[in-house]
Amino acid sequence: MGIISIEQADHILWLGRYTERVYTTVQLYNTYFDSMIDGVGKSYPEFCEKLDIPNIYESTDDFMHRYPFDRDNPDSIICNLLRAYDNAIVLRETIGSESLAYIQLAIYDWKKASENPAPLMETQKLIDHIMAFWGITDDVIDSEEVRNILKAGKRIERVDLFARLGMPPKSILREIHRLCPRVEKSSLPYDASKLIRLNELANNDKIDYYEIVREVESIF
Amino acid sequence: MPSYTSLVPSSEAINELLARYGVRFGIYKNNTFKEQLFPFDAIPRVIECDEFSYLERGLKQRVRALNLFLRDIYSRKQIVKDGVIPEDFIFASGGYLAQCEGVLPSKGIYSHISGIDLVKGKDGKWYILEDNLRVPSGASYPMIARELCRRSAPKVFHDIPVADNRNYAELLRRTMDHVNVGGINVILTPGRYNSAYFEHSFLAEKTGAYLVNGSELSVEGDFLYYNTADGKKERVGTVYRRISDEYLDPMNFNPESLIGIPHIFDVVRKGNVALMNAIGNGVADDKGIYYFVPKMIKYYLGEEPILSNAPTYLPFYEQDMKYTLENFDNLVLKDVAEAGGYGVVFGNKMTKEQKADFITLLKAEPRRFIAQEVIDFQDLDIMDEGRQVARKADLRAFVLTADEPMVWKSGLTRFSRNPDSFIVNSSQGGGFKDTWVLSR
Repeated sequence: MGIISIEQADHILWLGRYTERVYTTVQLYNTYFDSMIDGVGKSYPEFCEKLDIPNIYESTDDFMHRYPFDRDNPDSIICNLLRAYDNAIVLRETIGSESLAYIQLAIYDWKKASENPAPLMETQKLIDHIMAFWGITDDVIDSEEVRNILKAGKRIERVDLFARLGMPPKSILREIHRLCPRVEKSSLPYDASKLIRLNELANNDKIDYYEIVREVESIF
Repeated sequence: MPSYTSLVPSSEAINELLARYGVRFGIYKNNTFKEQLFPFDAIPRVIECDEFSYLERGLKQRVRALNLFLRDIYSRKQIVKDGVIPEDFIFASGGYLAQCEGVLPSKGIYSHISGIDLVKGKDGKWYILEDNLRVPSGASYPMIARELCRRSAPKVFHDIPVADNRNYAELLRRTMDHVNVGGINVILTPGRYNSAYFEHSFLAEKTGAYLVNGSELSVEGDFLYYNTADGKKERVGTVYRRISDEYLDPMNFNPESLIGIPHIFDVVRKGNVALMNAIGNGVADDKGIYYFVPKMIKYYLGEEPILSNAPTYLPFYEQDMKYTLENFDNLVLKDVAEAGGYGVVFGNKMTKEQKADFITLLKAEPRRFIAQEVIDFQDLDIMDEGRQVARKADLRAFVLTADEPMVWKSGLTRFSRNPDSFIVNSSQGGGFKDTWVLSR
């Protein structure tokens, strides 16, 4: 596979973004879930505010079930996973059946998790499938261009999420350093000034998280 | 000791793996798209080496004749002039496209991938049920199933000499390369909501062709191009299209098509891209034309047909109408315009009122229907909730035509899960099994 269309490039980029979104938010969900068990510490309104998603939940219990599993909630983990699948399913010949199968498995297991009274027990499987997906794409995708676009999508999403979550400057800087070479090697047209600006922002004493989100979203 | 039922204990595991790899087909019901798993039965259909050689000879013969027919119909129409086929059956066919008159496809091949449906009667004889020369689907399912079966029972495949069917992608690639007029090979799909999308993407992966949709291709000058992300254009040499004729080119066929490529047919006409299968093939796989295929074989090849049609009557002919009405309860009636198991009715299953309405319609539109004797075809064993039961099954054989017709040593065996049904189509709830052709 040596050449790709604009449409395919878009699907690859968003596949990277959605798999990362699932990966990071499911871990975040784990952390909040644990904290909310005792009814003290972190709360779901704070979670929603950080991720900039509408707080449509009526209670902690409602959040604990609907955020991961509600298919009618566009911000839920399952919806993000299905969007990853929507992009992956049209890329079988580009990413390979073996890679696609891990997204499929993630969906199957996440559906099963929704029926489990202790869904936290199942989140590890989802994380495993996403990690296996990333691992196998590295192994089976011959095209460096495709791998770089996929990883650029993943890194963009991670910088975006980390900035929204107000992660420590060191983490943000590390992710920006990982992002830049992927974008440069992706062969897609991009705005180089955004990468320079992101590096400046991450090196400032006081990080402007909002600005980072804005800049990372306008690279391509 | 391995036997043909050795895979049964692995059935659930194989079906789980098929689900993992997204082996599905899509259907629309009540205006909603649903993807369904295609149930796999682990007891294979087994065809002995000699029997398959016989089928192979008959299938090659049939596809050769059908290709010659298409070439004739879109040029001299000698078969009509010689009175072998009445012109009503050509020009009234929905599959006949006047735009294809005088257009000779690359290397003169019309049907590159032919899906021929057969059944084996209880008399031990094979009968052709229909020819699919437009966009026959189904090869991918036994391909991937075989891969998984071999994993689950390696000793079976070591001990039983089953011809390897995993070369389908190689045959398909050879077929694409043979007609390629310069450029890349692409598989054109209507998109992921097409019922056979799994197959489109799987075959693209296995052949190395680019899977594209209409918006990724464009016509410039006299050529077809694939538009790449970096703004370049790659010339396309072969399009294995999985879009039906009418939607392929809104400028030449259905103007409302949003999934086609404007002017692609102009490029085809100039010989600057090969299209597989050719446009206009529907005239040859029309259920009405099916009746004439044995006559075509004699006419074009001067040979006796090796494989038989199911006994068929054309109510268009007076004597056949008379026979149909007199034997209505023993016949199956098929609407020539329908496919996928739709438009098929059994005379003995109709109520008195339904029968009267149908006969009125038949008399008003005799060209629209064919009548066939109900072939009492052999049942094959399947596993149904742990029990081994017999069900009706057919076989879709695949013939790929490059420099010569090649019969794939396998096929799609579909079965009905309903004990009272003869209809095996996946869209009607059927399943599939692997087809083992013994190599010795």
